[in-house]
Amino acid sequence: MNDETWDLLDDELAKARLGERTALAVLVQAHQRAVYSLALRMLGTRDLAEDLTQDVFMQLNGNLGTIESNKHLGFWLRRVTTNRAIDQLRRRSRVQMTSLEDEQPFFSAEEDADPMLQRHLRDLLADLSPPARAVLLLRYQEDLDPTDIAQTLDMPVNTVKSHLKRSLETMREKSLGMQSARCEDSST
Amino acid sequence: MSQEIESRMRAALRPVAPREDFSQKLLARVIAGQPAQPKPRRLLAASARPLAWWLTASLAASLILAVGVERHLEQQRLQQSGLEARREVVEALRMTSQKLNLAYEAVKNQSTSLADEKSGV
Amino acid sequence: MKKFSLPIFLALLAPALAWAAPNPRLAIPEFAGLAQKATESVTITLDPALLAMAGRFLDGNDPQDAATKEIIKGLRGIYVRSYTFDKDSAYQQADIDAVRAQLAAPGWNRLVETHSRKTRANVDIYIMIDDNQAIGLALIASEPRQFTIVNIIGAIDLDKLHKLEGQFGVPKLDIDLSKTPAQGAQK
Repeated sequence: MNDETWDLLDDELAKARLGERTALAVLVQAHQRAVYSLALRMLGTRDLAEDLTQDVFMQLNGNLGTIESNKHLGFWLRRVTTNRAIDQLRRRSRVQMTSLEDEQPFFSAEEDADPMLQRHLRDLLADLSPPARAVLLLRYQEDLDPTDIAQTLDMPVNTVKSHLKRSLETMREKSLGMQSARCEDSST
Repeated sequence: MSQEIESRMRAALRPVAPREDFSQKLLARVIAGQPAQPKPRRLLAASARPLAWWLTASLAASLILAVGVERHLEQQRLQQSGLEARREVVEALRMTSQKLNLAYEAVKNQSTSLADEKSGV
Repeated sequence: MKKFSLPIFLALLAPALAWAAPNPRLAIPEFAGLAQKATESVTITLDPALLAMAGRFLDGNDPQDAATKEIIKGLRGIYVRSYTFDKDSAYQQADIDAVRAQLAAPGWNRLVETHSRKTRANVDIYIMIDDNQAIGLALIASEPRQFTIVNIIGAIDLDKLHKLEGQFGVPKLDIDLSKTPAQGAQK
């Protein structure tokens, strides 16, 4: 979203706070992709993601008065989504990530998508602890810097950086392993 | 290599859209202002609720989905521009009339003075 | 002796004729230096597109809006520059002279020139007439702490401007087109 869109969404927020439901719907429409995607990649399945998305926006209904700007709204939505997802995951032993056959895309459809990288990423997400998973998603999906991630998750910055470093190392190892396997395949 | 991996991760993790019917139902609920329901797997068994609010809310949600956020905001921009243009027209004519009034007062005062002179006042 | 055909002659003359056609649009300077000194400045630039847009947002059911809509119907531009200062004589008459000089061009007729000792305001109003119709208005108002330039382009209906009395506080000016001065501004 460009700056002008953010400013106009500030206007919609002001109207929503006064009770204009259509303005609230515009805000939901503007933010729902981010919320749904966070929920999906945290919880692993579409049904759980949809439930969480719905719960988050319904919670927003009752909290509009505390939201100061569209930027603050983005922060609030990310925080509530990740915290609720972490709570849910702590009650379950292991996340079942969406199967490859699921028709609802887990990853963004890119022309030059790397299916092996996506598989490694999905495995990584499944292996990570809920907080570490949230850190990864806030960094690479939401493009937040470590300070903002720390604020969103109430986590020390050094812990955030440590999670990111380990995740990246794991991805690098998997990618190197993948490259070695390719080399072996091509040589045989 | 790290940068490349990070770049590919960002690309893979770009937000994805939920199903359209979920989106529509979510917007409809938001517009209707209904509180969160405890966990039906299928959203909102409509038969349990009055039809009217559901229809109204669904229609509004469909409209927003069809028009899209960007288009809606574009229409808002146009409206703001139009209202601003209207305000400027009114202000321009108000200022013009104010200055015309100055001229009028000057002419009137001059006419009054001339009339007074003629009548020997 | 060479003979020129009439169409060619007229074609050659066309640019000169176009140049001579009256143009009610004034070139108003930026007044950047004055704008910095001013406590309040108003810059309104309404071209045909913006006027049309404004027209769509005027409520025909509201008397003031309806009257405004009528007035701007025939207009192609409204340009206003106004600067207010916090002390007397903060601007020089020379600052406005670049605009005033343009009103000496053919086509402009001074309708009224007023000086008020009471308000210390000078107001000059010019109109441009083409084919017995007003096609442009220029107003320069200089007061001790404010000056205003208004340039209105288009078919100004002075009668409708009359009828705005009470809407914006416009006075009824005794303006009769048949009594306007001859071509060439009077000083």
